[in-house]
Amino acid sequence: MIGRFASYLRRKPYLLNFIQWIANWSPRARKLIGALLLCSLVGLTYRSYFRNWVPLGPQRTVTTVNLKMGVHTRLTDEPDAAKIKRSLEMVREMGAPWIVEYFPWAYYEPKRGQYEWSHPDLVIDHANRQGLTVIARLGYVPSWARPEDSHHLYLAEENYEAFGRYAVEFVRRYQGKVRYLIIWNEPNLSLEWGFRPVDPASYVKMLKVVYPMVKAAAPDVQVLAGALAPTLDPPGSEWSMNDLDYLQAMYDAGAAGYFDILAIHAYGLGFDADEPAGESVINFRRSELLREIMVRNGDGDKTAMITEGGWNDHPRWTRAVRPAQRILNSARAYEIAGSEWPWMESVCLWVFRFPWDQKSYQDYYTFVDTDFEPKAIYLEMQRYAAGRFEAP
Amino acid sequence: MTDKDRDREKETLAAPGGSDRQWLVAGSNGNRWTRFDVRRSFERQPRLWIAVLILALAVGGWLLLRTSGPAVDETWLMMQERGSWRVGMDPSFPPFEMLDAEGAPIGYDVDLAREIAATWGLEAEIVAIGFDSLLDALLVGRVDAVISAFPFNARMTKDVYYLPPYFEAGVWLAARADAPYEEIADLDGGTVAVEWGSRGDAIARRLQREGAEFERMPFESSEKAIQALVSGASDALLIDGVTLRLAQGEGKRIRAVGDVLDEDPYVIAVSVKAPVLRGALFEAMAALEEGRRLDLLEERWFGQVAGGSE
Repeated sequence: MIGRFASYLRRKPYLLNFIQWIANWSPRARKLIGALLLCSLVGLTYRSYFRNWVPLGPQRTVTTVNLKMGVHTRLTDEPDAAKIKRSLEMVREMGAPWIVEYFPWAYYEPKRGQYEWSHPDLVIDHANRQGLTVIARLGYVPSWARPEDSHHLYLAEENYEAFGRYAVEFVRRYQGKVRYLIIWNEPNLSLEWGFRPVDPASYVKMLKVVYPMVKAAAPDVQVLAGALAPTLDPPGSEWSMNDLDYLQAMYDAGAAGYFDILAIHAYGLGFDADEPAGESVINFRRSELLREIMVRNGDGDKTAMITEGGWNDHPRWTRAVRPAQRILNSARAYEIAGSEWPWMESVCLWVFRFPWDQKSYQDYYTFVDTDFEPKAIYLEMQRYAAGRFEAP
Repeated sequence: MTDKDRDREKETLAAPGGSDRQWLVAGSNGNRWTRFDVRRSFERQPRLWIAVLILALAVGGWLLLRTSGPAVDETWLMMQERGSWRVGMDPSFPPFEMLDAEGAPIGYDVDLAREIAATWGLEAEIVAIGFDSLLDALLVGRVDAVISAFPFNARMTKDVYYLPPYFEAGVWLAARADAPYEEIADLDGGTVAVEWGSRGDAIARRLQREGAEFERMPFESSEKAIQALVSGASDALLIDGVTLRLAQGEGKRIRAVGDVLDEDPYVIAVSVKAPVLRGALFEAMAALEEGRRLDLLEERWFGQVAGGSE
């Protein structure tokens, strides 16, 4: 190689001449050039390291008349630090002290034992600085922890411990910053269970593995379980299991000792927030039926959190409501949790903002547009949090 | 260069100072050495060079074909073979698409699909698919096109080709047909009705933040907001294009003012792998527009615009 390089130099005499010319400089000039090169190197390294960095700013607090108000943010696919900060600022400015955010295992442990925390660091540090309490949802299996070509939500029981190790690393890193952890999402849906038949007993096995690991690493962290999708599918459905049946099956499998708070998904669909609960209807007050199951199983001392829910105002989705109803129902949902449900710690409505338009009914769950333009519901919830809410 | 010349040059290079000469030759742009080497190499290994040449031609040809798209449009060929054009739509959004009492699809988009198919001598086969699955159905070839009050999506333009819009459903400023307003600024000191919480409401609030000096009048439904405009309780209205057009069809003497304030164009979508179909659609839509067939379709499903309005 060296011989070839020397031969190359011989064929390019001007290069040799250039090197000789530099070698003839005075020692001072050589030092100056060296210092300039070093500065450039340091500058480039600094720029590369901080290319996605914005200052955290001063510590802020949320001002609100209802301390249970919250939203599910969706910053998982938002890479821009400035946009992450702006989202969380706007949550605070709306008057919601709680957020739920998703921290996919596959993103942050892409190789076994190799962690990449830069993105969650951004989200959690900015959320903390805005005075928001983070409820972290964990899930999404990395390819190394599942069979080849399997679905990203497929997690075999022998890998529950690997998932537990990720949860432990997570709570250790964010000790004092994240106090709430949701273990998995909607395990009563086949698609959220890796397209396998749903299995409450296996989900409880997951809790029995992960819960003690998390508690040993961070005893003050509260573990949320459930996060069940409200469904009315009949028994034996290949797609899902009724959430009420699933929760009872969880208790039957011994889940009670392996979670601290029940996570609830409370979608209102086409019903008002005050529509009474019923086993054959999906509405906001279905949360009360889940609560009854908790009490019936001796878990009445535990609390619950709504980690997803709300109303949609898409003009053509059959389960949507008019925009005015969405505003009224959302305010009423926060109100119900605040005044009627002492066992409910927080209500995090889906979804604050998407990084890009979904071009589907999902866009009509958001509170602000992708460009941070506030929707009317955002401004009305802001008025609600300020105690100035008034329907026309 | 003959063998004799080459031998002479070797002797020159071997002589004292010959190495300088070598540098001079190699460093010059004439590059005699390179030319010499290639030729000699070709003479020594002709098969290798022919193989390299064939490989280069194959790679170049593949790259050329790859960038110029498929030579044939399978979608178009299948349509001709089948005798029908499969159009995906979600029949749940009147008056664009819905089901009649017998469960048959009807509506503006259904008629539009039939009119287009007729220009090609084909039948339009309506395939009912949930709104959120329409693009997936198009990309896997279950349908040949999507016509379903379907909004343009810039993120999908790598896989999907969108034709120019045939309906603008975005937010418009509307005024009574006889009102003198031509732009937002004309409404300073006036009132603007909105459906509370709607897109129009959000835009009204934004315009106020940006300095517009009208009073926003929220109503719990779009019907009440329209009524406020018609009755004179408000000077203008911010409303989506579909609701506006339906109100006009119902005989409300109101008109759109200025340009659309928040675009939401409805478009026909086809796969980028169907260039012939795309071209045929362009021609068909141009012919329908020229023959005022699109206007007639709109009137059929939205009603005639009341006299004196746009």
